[in-house]
Amino acid sequence: MLSKRMQPLTSQARRSYVELMFQVMGRALQAISEVDEVARDEIKRLPDGFLFEMQVMPAGPKLIVEHTGDGRLRFLGDEAPRPIDLSIQFKHIAHAFLVLSFQEKTSVAFANDRMLVDGDVSLAIRMTRVLNRLEAFILPKLVAERAVKEYPDHINFPNKLISAARIYLRVATNLVETARA
Amino acid sequence: MTNKYYEFFCPVKVIAGKAALEHIPFELTSLAAKRPMIITDKGVRAAGLLDPVIAACEESGLDIVSIYDDVPPDSSTTVVATIAKVYRKEKCDSIIAVGGGSAIDTGKAVNILVSEGGDDIAEYSGAGILKHPLKPFFVVPTTAGTGSEVTSVAVITDEKRGVKLPYSSPFLLPNAAIIDPRMTLTLPPHITAATAMDALTHATEAFTCMGKNPLSDAYATAAVKKVSQSLLKVMDTPKDEEGRLDLAQASTMAGIAFSNSMVGLVHALGHATGAIVHLPHGLCMSLYLPYVLEFNLESIREPLGELLLHLEGPEVYSATPAARRAEASISSIRKLRDELYKRCKLPRTLKETEKVTEDQLEAIATMALDDGSIMFNPKEVSLDDAMTILRRAWA
Repeated sequence: MLSKRMQPLTSQARRSYVELMFQVMGRALQAISEVDEVARDEIKRLPDGFLFEMQVMPAGPKLIVEHTGDGRLRFLGDEAPRPIDLSIQFKHIAHAFLVLSFQEKTSVAFANDRMLVDGDVSLAIRMTRVLNRLEAFILPKLVAERAVKEYPDHINFPNKLISAARIYLRVATNLVETARA
Repeated sequence: MTNKYYEFFCPVKVIAGKAALEHIPFELTSLAAKRPMIITDKGVRAAGLLDPVIAACEESGLDIVSIYDDVPPDSSTTVVATIAKVYRKEKCDSIIAVGGGSAIDTGKAVNILVSEGGDDIAEYSGAGILKHPLKPFFVVPTTAGTGSEVTSVAVITDEKRGVKLPYSSPFLLPNAAIIDPRMTLTLPPHITAATAMDALTHATEAFTCMGKNPLSDAYATAAVKKVSQSLLKVMDTPKDEEGRLDLAQASTMAGIAFSNSMVGLVHALGHATGAIVHLPHGLCMSLYLPYVLEFNLESIREPLGELLLHLEGPEVYSATPAARRAEASISSIRKLRDELYKRCKLPRTLKETEKVTEDQLEAIATMALDDGSIMFNPKEVSLDDAMTILRRAWA
């Protein structure tokens, strides 16, 4: 009985968590494209103006970023100015929660059919590499190991600390600017 | 609570064995189909492989209304549109694809156009676009390797844009796959070898990559066992019908396995090599399989060790210490490749193909990193890793 009463609350909490994580991830993607050369090299191969979306089906939370050129991404929130070029779609909010709460690695979620790719699969692979690099930087190593297939051994602690600080600073600044606007 | 989850789907009726072709008329009429069209290629027709299919239908009073036998090795949007026009003109109501991967993919694409309407197959490209079942569709494979008869994907080249268009939908799956040993009996030795290695790779990757699951495992191990037991026998006695049927069934089982678990780095490298140097897919699989297994070794030690039972049988498996079984599986695959080289000169290294130059390796590695299959490889792959594997596979 109690669990039935709690269900809407749990569901709402899960949805709010996914929305929040998309907000942070969108801004963090923009930030990593500003501070990390390797991520920029990956993004550079996307066409200029390319729109990437992560979404929960059928009309759940979403994040949209745009490649503005030269490997830079811009977070657009959840509204696209034109049709999306590449969309990674979680089949259910529960699946998005599993991935975004680091209970299931992104690669495992793909293997488990939790997500669909609508668009060029090779570009989805590229964006997944950028997301993995982002997670390796901004998450504590123990958590990042649960999120990515393999924690990159070339990211040493000082490098991680500096990059994470720069990404978080940019995310925080962007959040404040958005709140002010 | 376990985090494990998987999906498994294969609604294709498999009709396999002696006189399997003779079941086609019954299967067609049970789906109310009376006017079938055959889609095939010139090679299949010249080899006389259509004759038993046509005879089987005619003996049951079912006429093949139209035969299109000009499917090229890389099927295109133009070919698909042309065949769809013939299908409509002749008022056909079903499709029988007879051939290898290209004829089967073409059959799938034609079925989209004749079921959904229109002349431009490019409009249906992508995943999950189709929402309704298509016309009755049967597949008679004439090679034992691709497993296309049980996969829900097709690839068609858009000649105008110069890109390969992917199609993915459960509705692309045929109603039935007819596996008849007569259809692979005349397959030349090097194609028999390469396509069987393709099936072995499908099964091995299905069993060792990230999407593996209990049901795909069952199909994968059965496929590995059949290839290991029958391939060399068939190479020595090409007219061995039982062996041919084993290889054909292995191909279908491996197809069911990998379409439900996906594949990994061997396929990523193989797709890139096929695109850049145009080597046949089965050959690419044979070239890269042991080197990729060595690269993945520490991530797949347990399942790869388990495969030894199916590769070499219970005596060798039980005589090999558990800690050495994974390496023994790789040795077994290497040994098989050596035997194939002895029998039909199937290349074991990129250099032996005489079609690849060392300066192409970087382009292959770069392209492989963006291949969809790499997502399911159990180990993360960097450009340096891919280059190391390619250098090992070089000579």
